Amino acid sequence: MSPLVLVAIALITYGSRAAAVVLLPRPSPRFEVVLSRIPAAIFASLATATLLGDGGALAGVPVLAAAAGALLASPARSLLLCLVGGAIGYAAGAWLG
Amino acid sequence: MVVLALPAAAAVAVFGSLYGAAARVYLGVPLTLASSLLVYSGALQFALVALLGVGATVLPLLLTTVVLNLRHLVLGAALRSRFESGPRRRALLAFFLVDETFGFAIAAGNTAEPPAVGATTERTLLVAGLTLWIAWLIGTLVGVMGGGLAAVEHVAGAIFPVLFIGLAALAVRRPSHVVRALAAAVLTAAVAVLLPDLKMLAPVIAGVLVALPGREP
Repeated sequence: MSPLVLVAIALITYGSRAAAVVLLPRPSPRFEVVLSRIPAAIFASLATATLLGDGGALAGVPVLAAAAGALLASPARSLLLCLVGGAIGYAAGAWLG
Repeated sequence: MVVLALPAAAAVAVFGSLYGAAARVYLGVPLTLASSLLVYSGALQFALVALLGVGATVLPLLLTTVVLNLRHLVLGAALRSRFESGPRRRALLAFFLVDETFGFAIAAGNTAEPPAVGATTERTLLVAGLTLWIAWLIGTLVGVMGGGLAAVEHVAGAIFPVLFIGLAALAVRRPSHVVRALAAAVLTAAVAVLLPDLKMLAPVIAGVLVALPGREP
């Protein structure tokens, strides 16, 4: 890959980030309602994607246990508690696995 | 919130070292470092290295870049309504928009008082973005110097699902958001199994699809 291609990739990447943040006008209230529903759904989807490998294979037991620990802590709506729950889950999963 | 970004930064550094070790074979040291400096996108950079590994030419590299970056349009649109600063500052902040920093910014904004939502969201995006960017650069540097942290890859790999679950919990503002989040997770799992080539885009596609129906706030 040449430096020129790398610069093109960097520009495309930055452009995709800036397109909505810089160029989009402030959304209408109706659109804002739809947008407000997106973050939780995307994070749940990203969590799912990180637990699945190629062909939908599940991650290892410690990683699944970490996710379970975080899920159990999630009703507290605290990122710190989710991280603690995940750490406990990972340790338990590693011990069991 | 920024302190809570430190575990994510540690995980990012680990993956950065793996990226640095893998990419230097195909890009050489200067371009590997430049890629992390200028692109700052782990998923994309790993995908590009994989493509280079099978001898891909320029066109597949650019097409992959376009496709994988489509999600930024959705993330940016979701953040746009919270930003109050002018276009120049938003242009600076845009560089730091990645999945994790988007999450921290949204979560911080959700916990702020209404008049402070914009400033809190922007500050968090900037500080978390800088933190993770530096971690990614340090990791890449360690990797190109031959210090890959493969031994702790599994631990680092556990941080991301935990982080995203925590961010999902923080992003929930109404009970209906939980239902939509669960639906998006199921949809993503189905896409990952049935259409594995779309796995990288599945989270955003699912997130948008489940957000559209209904009139309730």
